[in-house]
Amino acid sequence: MISSFNLKKWAGYALAAVAFSAQAAQAPQHIDIKQVSKKVEDVVVPLPNEVFGALNKLGPVNWKEYVRTEKGANFTERPRIALLLGTVIADGFIAVQAEDAPAVKDIGQRVLALAKGIGVGNSITPHAKAITEAADKRQWENVRQELDRTQNSVQQAMNEVQDQKLSQLVSLGGWLRGTQVLTSVVSAHFSAQGAELLHQPDLLEYFGQKLNAMPEYRLPVIESIKGGLVEVRPLIATGAKPISPDAVKKINLITTRLDGEIVTRQ
Amino acid sequence: MNTARRVAVGTVLAIGLLRATSPASVDDAQSFALQAAEPYVKEGFQVREDYWGGDLGAGEKKAVRQQLFKGNEYWFWMGTEVERAKISVHIYDSEGKLVEQPDSWQKGHFAAAHVIPSATGSYFIIVAVEESPEERTHWALVYGFR
Repeated sequence: MISSFNLKKWAGYALAAVAFSAQAAQAPQHIDIKQVSKKVEDVVVPLPNEVFGALNKLGPVNWKEYVRTEKGANFTERPRIALLLGTVIADGFIAVQAEDAPAVKDIGQRVLALAKGIGVGNSITPHAKAITEAADKRQWENVRQELDRTQNSVQQAMNEVQDQKLSQLVSLGGWLRGTQVLTSVVSAHFSAQGAELLHQPDLLEYFGQKLNAMPEYRLPVIESIKGGLVEVRPLIATGAKPISPDAVKKINLITTRLDGEIVTRQ
Repeated sequence: MNTARRVAVGTVLAIGLLRATSPASVDDAQSFALQAAEPYVKEGFQVREDYWGGDLGAGEKKAVRQQLFKGNEYWFWMGTEVERAKISVHIYDSEGKLVEQPDSWQKGHFAAAHVIPSATGSYFIIVAVEESPEERTHWALVYGFR
């Protein structure tokens, strides 16, 4: 009998062979992007570890410096929990970069508590368990994968109950924390290549549009983030010019301020 | 045929009919896209859980926009459950220039595009159903990076 593992293995080999033998696809060398732009789907927001991975290739980063495990405030407002949840998942990716097993396990439990607070705890329980197990075994790749699955499960559970807006706030919380850490790292040892990783104008526009479509969330933190994104936009919209060290510092101040508002009760 | 046997045969036929008529979904397309990604995981690519999907008629295209970071290497894998369909995926930069690597490939109901971004920014991934025996063909696109 062929086990499912072997079937998977053979399917993998078969596809590798297909890839090897397949013709390179014929595609136009140039397209009119203005035509395409009208029919563009929503963007998939990159995970913090996607940008951290690119940052790592520019030089060593002392990730331990950025690990954060404080439990922070507890909230009852669902938008606030969603923002905080995104931030805490981003903290999980930072702890993985730092290979800090106790921090990863604390963060896994915090994620579970927040997910319960927002009514999607059931979908997270197996991931939280898997995060703890993988952290104990120091299987960092598995922890990364489980953090991605955690965020995906939270967002799918929210989407299933028509809470897409909360799902977007989870992505936004993660993006803000990721950008805060990115700007801290680049400010500490400035390089033009590091600053270039901030060139994300479409993501800023995407988040701005989503926040403007949430008039029902009349919370000070949401208004602050809206204002903060407007402040960041000209700092990264430099055209062909590189993003300056001063701009990186300003973005760091803005995102640090916003992160503070997300994690603390005011 | 005794009653128990009739019930058993009826159940098997009903299950067969249900399977034959149960509508395929984007989830099925996603499982094929993930199948295309599988060999690359062994090469160190982290495949995202999030994905794009939908359905297209033969000859139709759709663009998705994605933030890519210089320094990373990306593969985008597309799949459909319609085995006789021919699909494609290509990557363009924000100026509309084709930027994929020559090892990008398409084969029937699988396709993949490989990009090593020369700059951080937005890129356009164009997915298409080139040919299909179905009126609408489900598609899914997943990506991975290292």
